[in-house]
Amino acid sequence: MFAKEMLKQSLPLLVVCGLGGILAGNTFGAMASIIRDIPGLIVVIPAVIAMRGNISTALGSRLGSAYHLGIINAENLWNKELKQNILGSLTLSLIMSTIIGFLAYVSSLILNIYPNPFQLIVIVLLAGVISGIVLMLLTIMIIYFVFKRGYDPDNITGPALATFGDVITMLCIFGSAILIGGIT
Amino acid sequence: MIYSWKKIVKNSIPILTIAVFIEIFAGQILQGNQEKLLLFPIFLISIPVINGVGGNIGSILGARLASGLHVGYIELTIKDKNIQKNFLTSLLMGLITYAILGILIYYIAYFGNIQMEIDLLVFVSIVLGTGVLLILMISIISVLTAFLAFKKGLDPDDMVAPVVTTFGDTLGIVLLFLLIGVVGIW
Repeated sequence: MFAKEMLKQSLPLLVVCGLGGILAGNTFGAMASIIRDIPGLIVVIPAVIAMRGNISTALGSRLGSAYHLGIINAENLWNKELKQNILGSLTLSLIMSTIIGFLAYVSSLILNIYPNPFQLIVIVLLAGVISGIVLMLLTIMIIYFVFKRGYDPDNITGPALATFGDVITMLCIFGSAILIGGIT
Repeated sequence: MIYSWKKIVKNSIPILTIAVFIEIFAGQILQGNQEKLLLFPIFLISIPVINGVGGNIGSILGARLASGLHVGYIELTIKDKNIQKNFLTSLLMGLITYAILGILIYYIAYFGNIQMEIDLLVFVSIVLGTGVLLILMISIISVLTAFLAFKKGLDPDDMVAPVVTTFGDTLGIVLLFLLIGVVGIW
């Protein structure tokens, strides 16, 4: 009965998140030719997606806690606490994106693959920051509606970010790669 | 004010950097197998699904264990009945989810005219095999992380999700290539 309840509550959500994964995967599949054109690009993909997931879910759960602590609510959403959280997440995205691009370049060199370091770092930075802003706006919107309805944000932001986060991030990597790959 | 952006950045950088190192390792495995992957794009489509579902199941298990440890209905021992039940349910959920998604991916690729010379049965077996092995390993990592965190006085809720998703990504990719190799389709 324990197992039944867990299955009933989690399984539909897992399948829905999996559908988000299929969309992300299709984007990955569509990137085949640009992956050939830009050495090192495939290396950064798991790292950027994981970074995006880690930073966004941490933001979501901090805002959930802030709601439970009574620091933010539907009437008082856009305040100093929220701005500090936004600034923190964006700074993290900038720093971690640079580290990802750099590490992907150096580790490729060790394996005798020679990416263009400038191109790689700019692609990661652009994808990291744009997906960060999009997912942050999405999180704040979700939190706002959740507040209005009086639901617990902790139950909603995690699965929503898991479903949309990977697709949005993958699309941002694809877009940045096309843009920067076209310029350089 | 209880939040400061500097504190958020300072507290997050160490664990995020460790995660990035491991993910870059996963990325290099992909790059090493790039040509084969581009020949079989159906596996490219599968990677985010395999890793995403694995990470989600591991996180659910970890969050349930963390709550159980906090409230006290789960004991700090592998023999605990609740842990065994949670473990088995995770495996069952993994089997069902991977079977549904595996079939779905196959037909999406089939009707999307994506180049593939692989049977439905072979493809679903590879996805299921990878998924079950992944859930087994992730569940063990999840239980261990929750226990260790709880023992050290850290909140398991903070630790399990990042640890599980990071290791899950790398393991998922390694296991997928392993199983493709065993089946011998390339």
